[in-house]
Amino acid sequence: MNVDLPAGTRNYSYAQDMTVFRTRTHWALLAALLVALLAAPLYSSNYWLGVGNLIGITIIAATGLNILTGYCGQLSIGHAGFIAVGAYTSVVLTNRFGVPFLAALVLAGVAAGLIGMVFGIPSLRVKGFYLAISTIAAQFIIVWVINHWTAVTGGFNGMSVPPASVGGLALVSQGSQFYLIMVTTAVAVFLAKNLARTRVGRAFVAIRDNDLAAEVMGINLFHYKLVAFFAGCFLAGVAGSLFAHWVGFVNAENFTFMDSILYVGMIIIGGLGTAVGPIFGVVFIRLLQQGITFVSPVLESAFALPAGFTTGIGPMVFGLVIILFLILEPRGLAHRWALFKASYRLWPFSY
Amino acid sequence: MADLLQFVITGTTVGMVYALIALGFVLVWKSTGVANLALGQLVLISSWFTYGMLVQAGLPFWLGFPLVVLFALALGWGIERLVLRPLIGQPILSLITVTLGVAYFLQGAVGFIWPKSVAALPSLFSQEPIHIGPAVVSQEYLWSALISLSLFGLLSLYFKYHKMGVVMRATADDQLAVQACGVPVTKIFSRSWMLACTLAAVGGILISSIGGITFGLCETGLKAFSVVILGGLDSFLGAIVAGPIIGLAENLGGGYLTPLTWPGVKEVIPFVIIIIVMFVKPYGLFGEARVERI
Repeated sequence: MNVDLPAGTRNYSYAQDMTVFRTRTHWALLAALLVALLAAPLYSSNYWLGVGNLIGITIIAATGLNILTGYCGQLSIGHAGFIAVGAYTSVVLTNRFGVPFLAALVLAGVAAGLIGMVFGIPSLRVKGFYLAISTIAAQFIIVWVINHWTAVTGGFNGMSVPPASVGGLALVSQGSQFYLIMVTTAVAVFLAKNLARTRVGRAFVAIRDNDLAAEVMGINLFHYKLVAFFAGCFLAGVAGSLFAHWVGFVNAENFTFMDSILYVGMIIIGGLGTAVGPIFGVVFIRLLQQGITFVSPVLESAFALPAGFTTGIGPMVFGLVIILFLILEPRGLAHRWALFKASYRLWPFSY
Repeated sequence: MADLLQFVITGTTVGMVYALIALGFVLVWKSTGVANLALGQLVLISSWFTYGMLVQAGLPFWLGFPLVVLFALALGWGIERLVLRPLIGQPILSLITVTLGVAYFLQGAVGFIWPKSVAALPSLFSQEPIHIGPAVVSQEYLWSALISLSLFGLLSLYFKYHKMGVVMRATADDQLAVQACGVPVTKIFSRSWMLACTLAAVGGILISSIGGITFGLCETGLKAFSVVILGGLDSFLGAIVAGPIIGLAENLGGGYLTPLTWPGVKEVIPFVIIIIVMFVKPYGLFGEARVERI
């Protein structure tokens, strides 16, 4: 039974079938969301705008990883490394060569995408664990190069980054950054959603489900796997560029192996291979992070816990959350959301 | 010449410890089909536990070491029973990522219990350096190699003659057939994890007795991945051969390439080797190339 649509809605043409926003309620909800987002700088404090910015940037990166891992099934545990490539490319281009920010944003994506493709080449011959290891190697090699190529990257000391400027307008405040980041996030999510529904996206899913069968059906594995690596790492690079100009400082410390693991965790918690999954996963993890930073000092002083509590509790909780989701709900929050929608659409006869 | 000998000796001996840790990985991979990416964190947490026993609790080594082994056995049992058993039959992606969750959890636990970033174990071996020809080698290296070698020997005897070892090999070969013969396969899984954690713990103690306990130990665990990739994922022999190769490459490269490139080239060599092996011979030196059917 099709519960993708509200009760009483029927599709009478292919165009209707393909629409993302099908009913007036959908459009009204979309408009409400956009108004709420656009007006956010008016009613939120700087702190929460910052959180929103971080969430937006992470959604872009996680969406990229979702294309690569969720749709195409190529596990990448080096995503933070590819984000770092984007961040440093953008910083070097704007800082040294005076490239306008928007051009640098795109070039950062391209650079990260190309590096991602290079490390994705082994994916033709190996898969699963082998590929995971090769992306881990990518992560460490990239971070090592960043730390040691002092002439370009500033080495361990990092570099300060000028704020992003669009058309001569420098985006200094959290609010102005918020608009830039939200627009980019919306575009990225929209593109990813549509990529998944094209010929390319269907090829990705075929490769994920059974790459041999896909190859037999005439899908060029090498081509599509590299496209997946490029698309996934392109979004990582864009996220890196936004991140660097948002924080105002880059350093390899921001792009660790643990971050790479966390990105994988986010898309698993959200739901692999769904358009809304990365958004759910990122919001869940980042809000959890906020909660932990808020709660742990309070707990520490209240119960006289050891000094390591504040630093250690975060990773422990994230690890636990990843494990529990994989055991209890491997299809992630997106699946729960779909169940919820189905149940309220059929209410009071949902069973 | 003295330099060369020095690099060769340190490289081979450290490489044997890598091989020891890698052996634990191969064991779990072969018998359970799970890729254990938490290897680095297992090394890290058991080194810190050793620190807790020997330094913080002040226990003598003969009492502390069995406790560390017990801890490693319990850790392996717990990981298998609580995390991996519920996931039997799940796709490989879940099995890999769940070990990442374990890695995250263990890293957090280390930060929680031992918030300091660096510590040193009490010296387990005599501090008197040994002169081999023109090279000067500290005894830790030689002892590490000796202990690793004897563990290799014990393990190969175990796999050849002990009933449990034979069953473990059989499980690695054909899980279904072994199950049909009435062997409780889950028990084998549990054993493999316990053994792997113990090997990681011993490797961790040896490495940290050489270089102290730092977060770099996680990367030591990751270097074991380059050993298994080079040796072949499903080959015990591969791990033992590839370990010293990685150690040698690391030390020779670190010794001779540093003037040509950036300092610290030593850290990145194992990862570069991974990429090269991936391009040239993805199933490693002794690994079995998988032939797949639809």
